Amino acid sequence: MTDARQLQGDKLSEAQAIERAKLGDAEAFQFLYGLHRRRVYSLCLRMTANTAEAEDLTQEAFLQLFRKIATFRGESAFSTWLHRMAVNVVLMQLRKKSLPVVPLDETQENEEEAPKKELGAQDPMLSGSIDRLRLQRAVDALPPGYRRIFVLHDVEGYEHNEIAAMVGCSIGNSKSQLHKARMKLRESLKTSRAEKAAKPY
Amino acid sequence: MARAQGTKLVSLVILTAAICASAESRKEFRFTVGPGSVVSIANQYGPITVKGGSGNQVIVNAVLHSDQIEIDHTQSGSRVDLLTHLLSDSNADTGRVDYEVSVPADASVTLRSSTGVLHAEGLHGDVSLEGSQASVEVRDISDAHVHVRTLNGSVALTNIRNGHVEVTSVGGDVVLNSVNGPLVQVNSTSGKIRYEGDFSNSGEYMLTSHSGDIEASAPNDASIDVTARSVRGKVENDFLLEPKHTNFAMKAGSAFAGTMNKAASSVKLFSFSGRIHLKSLQATR
Amino acid sequence: MNCAEFQEVLPEVFEGDRTAEQESHLQSCSVCSSLVAELDLIANEARQLQEVAEPNPRVWASIEIALRQEGIIHEPQMRPTLLPAVPRRWSMNWLAPVAAAAVIAAGVVVYQRGSAPPSSTPAGPAVAQVVPNKLPITPLSVNDEDRQLLDALASRSPAAQKQYASNLQNVNAYIRDAEESAQADPNDEEAQQIVMDAYEQRAAVYEMALDRSMP
Repeated sequence: MTDARQLQGDKLSEAQAIERAKLGDAEAFQFLYGLHRRRVYSLCLRMTANTAEAEDLTQEAFLQLFRKIATFRGESAFSTWLHRMAVNVVLMQLRKKSLPVVPLDETQENEEEAPKKELGAQDPMLSGSIDRLRLQRAVDALPPGYRRIFVLHDVEGYEHNEIAAMVGCSIGNSKSQLHKARMKLRESLKTSRAEKAAKPY
Repeated sequence: MARAQGTKLVSLVILTAAICASAESRKEFRFTVGPGSVVSIANQYGPITVKGGSGNQVIVNAVLHSDQIEIDHTQSGSRVDLLTHLLSDSNADTGRVDYEVSVPADASVTLRSSTGVLHAEGLHGDVSLEGSQASVEVRDISDAHVHVRTLNGSVALTNIRNGHVEVTSVGGDVVLNSVNGPLVQVNSTSGKIRYEGDFSNSGEYMLTSHSGDIEASAPNDASIDVTARSVRGKVENDFLLEPKHTNFAMKAGSAFAGTMNKAASSVKLFSFSGRIHLKSLQATR
Repeated sequence: MNCAEFQEVLPEVFEGDRTAEQESHLQSCSVCSSLVAELDLIANEARQLQEVAEPNPRVWASIEIALRQEGIIHEPQMRPTLLPAVPRRWSMNWLAPVAAAAVIAAGVVVYQRGSAPPSSTPAGPAVAQVVPNKLPITPLSVNDEDRQLLDALASRSPAAQKQYASNLQNVNAYIRDAEESAQADPNDEEAQQIVMDAYEQRAAVYEMALDRSMP
């Protein structure tokens, strides 16, 4: 991506790149891609837990954005626009695969997937910082419905009312799924830490 | 004296008739083709009629309305091309050729004319018709695609089944009668669009205009998922539709949406300023 | 309030203000307070996952290829000046009419040069050569490319020129309405399709005006 770094060296701003992209400038498109590729790809990867699928969805999200770039008027942040488009692309893909984006009600959940309730004596505490790789693996291992709400809320920062509109569930459902996702992650992180501690080497 | 003048007049009339008769000529061409033949006719002025039949020949009968016209014809395998070649500055009268063509029913046919009429019937090969002012008539086509493009000529499609139908008309009115298939798409700027049929085949039906009115008539047992919207025009609906979850109604303009029976086919009616009316066929009969 | 009751309302506790009862339980119960602290930690640490992954370089390569094929990326010097104004967001399905429009626009120039009277000077741009005697038409809502097309038609058929002028006005109004509708909501796929439909109408007018299939 040396071209994008050159553009950065030339102090091309995002706004300038957008205007040049509207005129069909290849370097401008590449610069915009370079600015946002990690965020979009990470979102797709977290939502699908599949590298190949995440790459396809990243490509599709950027293509949809670049096709419509002439209509961008700057009323909102470009990154917000791109991010929303990426989320829509991912959710549409998940719908096409007929996977439930979120269980419509709690009775649909697999009993095994539901996190255990925490009552009585506590396990050793999860504290300090969490190793990114462990957290990543734990998120990837979440049931799909939990994972998507967790990624949208805690990783990407969407509010519950936004998530509810995007995935087609109620706000209460979104909150409930998020809580269960966090509880499941907590279990998973504690288990992996215990397993690590138990290894002789 | 009077007799001499009368004789001169009769002679003049006879001479004129002879000249006219000699200017008009007929030509016939025959081409033997294999299955899946392709026939293409470009004729700037004059009608072209193509009918599907049995046999393995393309038979062309042409009436040339002046001697300033030639018909260029080529055959390459099962592909036959005919082109009306105007030898000098011609107009719609002196450059006119009338074509009557018989083709095997499985032939794919492409017709072009400025003035028309373009007519195709009885085929199950793809049909492509284009004309700026030409009226277009297509009937009895099955299991094949139909593409029509016209500026101001009218378009009438009747009994077209099981193929893709795509009509682009800038100002000409479009009438579809018993036209069904996996895809039926009509796009018009100012021409009116009228559909009468059952929207069957679990197809996708899209009737779009800028200012032309859209009138779609269907029976009560039509199985459709319909959305209709006009940004500035009125919309009317004769049916009692089942509601469906959609947010399209939040867009500007007048609109309705819903389903009938099993909603097997998708029907989209859109116009910016035309009036849209979804009519019940039972009510109109 | 016991632990079971508190944990039942935890989803709401995280999202809004805690009641006095909930706060009191949190202060007094080490199990629940540890739980809340750990869940908070997970929520806060989640942000580090925002930009962790780098896509394979082939992703950009695929995007660039698609953009070039769709004509969204183009080199400035290659852009023909007589192209009708078409949006860059057409998908590959519409390459055929876009390409046809480019050929037609070029054909307008060639046609204009061909129809110029023999005594006219060969030098100068093609547009300057075309001054045939024609009906004075100043139609509304037509652009420079449209005027060139209408000028070319004037020498061939004044009656056709009037009709094409009217068609172009109507089609340009269609395009204008369609683009306004699409700009109102960039995510509206249906509106994008209607823009393409409107431009297809314009391409049809151009192609038939130049009678590309006719001698």
